[in-house]
Amino acid sequence: MSRRVVRVFSRACHALFLLAVLAAAACRHEHPVIAVIPRTCGTALWEPEHAGAAAVARQRGLDIYWNAPMRDDDIQAQIALIEKSVSRGYAGIIVSPIETLPMRTPIRRVLAKGIPVVVVGTKLGIDPGPDLTYVLSDERAAGEMAARRIGSILDGKGSIAILGINPQLMSNLERERNLEATLTREFPGIHIAVRQFGLSSVPQEQEAAEELLAKGQKIDAIVALSLASTRGAYYALAEFGKAGVIKLVGFDQDLIPPIRNGGIDSVVAQNTYAMGQLAMDLMDRELHGKGSATVLEVPPVLMTRENVDSAQIRQILNLAWWPPR
Amino acid sequence: MRAIFTTRNLIAAGSTVASIALLACAGVFVFRAIARRGPFSAQSVSLAKQDDWQAFGGTWQYADGVMQNNSDERGAKLMTGPTYWSNYSIEADVLLLGQYGDAGLIIRATDEEEGVDAYHGYMAGLRDLDNTLILGRADYGWREYAAKPVAPRVNAQMWYHVKFLAYGCDFAVSATAPGGQTTSVAVEDPGCLTEGRFGLKSYNTGAEWRNVVIRKATRQDLEAMTGGARLPIATPDELPMGAAPGSYDHYFEPIQRDLLAHHTDLNAQPISTLRLLSPDVPASVTVHGVVTLTSPVLFIQDPTGGLAIPDSHAHAPLQIGDEIEARGDAEPHDFSSRLRNADVRVLWSHTPVPPVAVTAAQAATGAFDAEYVEIQGRLEHKDEAPDHTLVLSIDEASQSFLAIVSEAGQAERLRALKDKSLLRLRGVCVVDSRYTHDLTSFALLLPSFNDVVVLEGPPWWSAGHIVAMTIGVLLLALAALSCYVLIERWRMQAVLEERGRLAHEMHDTLAQSFAGLGFQLEAIRDEANQGSNIVPQLEVARVMVRNSHEEARRSIAMLRPENLESVGLLRAMENCAQRMVNGTSSIAVRVSSAGSERAIPLRISDTLMRIGQEAVANAIRHAHPAHLNISLDYLRSAVELVVEDDGCGFSLTSELAGFGISGMYKRADSIGATLAIHSAPGEGTALRVHAPTPPSFFRAFWMRMQNSWRRQSNGNAHR
Repeated sequence: MSRRVVRVFSRACHALFLLAVLAAAACRHEHPVIAVIPRTCGTALWEPEHAGAAAVARQRGLDIYWNAPMRDDDIQAQIALIEKSVSRGYAGIIVSPIETLPMRTPIRRVLAKGIPVVVVGTKLGIDPGPDLTYVLSDERAAGEMAARRIGSILDGKGSIAILGINPQLMSNLERERNLEATLTREFPGIHIAVRQFGLSSVPQEQEAAEELLAKGQKIDAIVALSLASTRGAYYALAEFGKAGVIKLVGFDQDLIPPIRNGGIDSVVAQNTYAMGQLAMDLMDRELHGKGSATVLEVPPVLMTRENVDSAQIRQILNLAWWPPR
Repeated sequence: MRAIFTTRNLIAAGSTVASIALLACAGVFVFRAIARRGPFSAQSVSLAKQDDWQAFGGTWQYADGVMQNNSDERGAKLMTGPTYWSNYSIEADVLLLGQYGDAGLIIRATDEEEGVDAYHGYMAGLRDLDNTLILGRADYGWREYAAKPVAPRVNAQMWYHVKFLAYGCDFAVSATAPGGQTTSVAVEDPGCLTEGRFGLKSYNTGAEWRNVVIRKATRQDLEAMTGGARLPIATPDELPMGAAPGSYDHYFEPIQRDLLAHHTDLNAQPISTLRLLSPDVPASVTVHGVVTLTSPVLFIQDPTGGLAIPDSHAHAPLQIGDEIEARGDAEPHDFSSRLRNADVRVLWSHTPVPPVAVTAAQAATGAFDAEYVEIQGRLEHKDEAPDHTLVLSIDEASQSFLAIVSEAGQAERLRALKDKSLLRLRGVCVVDSRYTHDLTSFALLLPSFNDVVVLEGPPWWSAGHIVAMTIGVLLLALAALSCYVLIERWRMQAVLEERGRLAHEMHDTLAQSFAGLGFQLEAIRDEANQGSNIVPQLEVARVMVRNSHEEARRSIAMLRPENLESVGLLRAMENCAQRMVNGTSSIAVRVSSAGSERAIPLRISDTLMRIGQEAVANAIRHAHPAHLNISLDYLRSAVELVVEDDGCGFSLTSELAGFGISGMYKRADSIGATLAIHSAPGEGTALRVHAPTPPSFFRAFWMRMQNSWRRQSNGNAHR
């Protein structure tokens, strides 16, 4: 009798244990989670990447962990987010590095753990492979685009300043090289009077641009190679009453209203929405073992007063990462 | 017995125990989760209890009923409350410190992390960038459901009363301006987040909150805010601010206002050059720098150095990370400068200066005076100073320094700060004797308690721990010794029990068989004719059987366990001897004892018993004595067993092996005893075993004391 009771009790315990294990398994994420870590979030430049990545993720049955440093120069916070994603066991990482060199070791460590990575926006100097692919904005085209816009608005002659050169980001250097190469090749009448390195924040960029303007040097146009330098240059021009007089061609979408009134002539915009889509598509392939050494380049778009309300620009600026109701 | 411990049974038992443990854990978890779900308590919300709030980014400080976030990080949050609250409202007075951000209240939040929109929940608040009351939902990404222009407008440095209510999937927010004008927004969010905790949030600006009140919300409360109308379905804006075609003026104006506020004096001097000015000729200068400390003194820093601004007039509250322009009278000092009567203006925010990592030895040179640095050191002690200030005394290598920080509302964290912990501190390095009191070469002024990071706790090898460990080791050794003694006792008892079992077996089988054989032989002899040749042979066989029977009886007597612990060694010896001589009435057994009787360890008494039994058996078997004396002397540190007989004796040189004497020597040797046998033909035999006994602790102590007194009394006698 007592043996029967023990047997029944033991079987009941095992049944409950099995139920608990099944419940624990059911509580796990239904879908693989992909960490998408831009340089920062909540901005016109990076939120569209969220929208593009989320649209593809929904189709492929993937979940997204979207987070980024609160400042777009906080490389340590970005590395910490990558490490957190690894420790949480996320299936893959899509990252837009703030700087090139400090990101190499963390990415190599992620790859060593067999976690697929898609790098967005800049090359890292690590060769692509089945687990590492790149989705880049076509910086060669971007440099050429800015150069041709400058050539067009200056009618092929004049002096320009190039601000925001950032050696810490390979994509930025590529922009600058192609800008200068195109100007030299196609617009020999345009003289580059000033080259300035980029600074870490908008106010510093603004101050640097103010000093440039205060010198009284004759400049017909400014090419600002980053979001911060574009905003800083625009603020300085507005402060000196030169907005629209000295033409400003910037990079990376940020302030939209000054494009409408000509304070900023144009901005070479990265199509981060398409980059997000492509990155998630590559990630899905890598997760299914179909990854290959891929480097995709997305053509930039010149955002001007004339096309700021076009369907193409609206798509690039699309923030709708959430599922439709 | 062995069949119970099969692999299958063991696995089944193990998994059953694991299942029970898991179910018990789950039960405790569920019970605690239910127990935590206490009643809705509005009184439990207090800004003053900073330990109840959890910060995700930002620099939070509480003073005079106001919670302030001094940082203009994008997305700083301060959260509290249980995650199971569903229908409730939160209201507070909110003030924005800067002109280019938003601040407000969070409701129904879960899974918060550091990050711009890193939480699941709803947020409503005021945005001075575009002058709106905003309402939206964050799911690690922001969905802005509404941005309604505020009447008359959102101004920084002004208090607005914000009330945010959630009922079901309906959300309503209202903001009341200082002039009494109220702006309201309400939406329905189908598929809403149904429960979560609440908090404060700011984006791109510092902000202040006061009078935070949480209340349970009802349908009537919702209708009071919305007028009972059906709420519009929440539809998020799909374009960034200023991108919509009709929003040009709406967004351009604040951008224009903001940029013009940052006009800078291009003749600003690098801070380090102020030290080169003449101390005797007053000089009015302009500098630019980033705020590194606001209290107790304003400090700023540019790439060339740091500067203290003791008496400043600021147009707006300053926050760490603000880039400012300061115009005032330069006052050069030995290691850095000060700016007196300064007029301070914020140029831009959110440009915090990263600290320079230095050692205490480097900081002690004064080279980093007024600069924002990071230093590691070990906490020696902490002292409370006036005005809720805490002074930490830190040691690092050859240098000591003080770290000064406000401790308001940090009681819990303060308690967790243990002496001798290794700390990483971030603050402004000062060599001013007002802070160092000339006790140390420099002091560190910390912006907040968040700038104290414990890298590792105090080292384990403290005096208290060493004492505790010594006591622990001693207790462990004592326990091990007790275990060893216990196991030895069990083993001995097992041996004795086995001997008893063997004695019983022999008694029931061998001895009975010998007895039966004897009876049978006697019967055959009685039946046989007296003159038969077989009678003498039968007689021989009968004697042989009787002798064997006696041998068996003696062996049984030797093997039979005596309860040495209860009856004592001497009594046990006597019992055993009496059993052995039983039937041999010619041998008289006498036992005697000398000295004070005491307990003898079981191992020793058992060995003496065995030797004594062997000696008695030998005497009965071979010596045919008339008397057998057994005596036991309890000496000071030994016990001596003597077995004497007046039998025929033997020559010690010739017959040792045959009598099992070598076995007795081996037994004696096993307990460190000495065995002496005195015998000669016709003179009887005396066997003496001298076994040392270990002194008890108290006895040894007493003996030592006695010796000491004896020596003392001898010494006195000599004198």
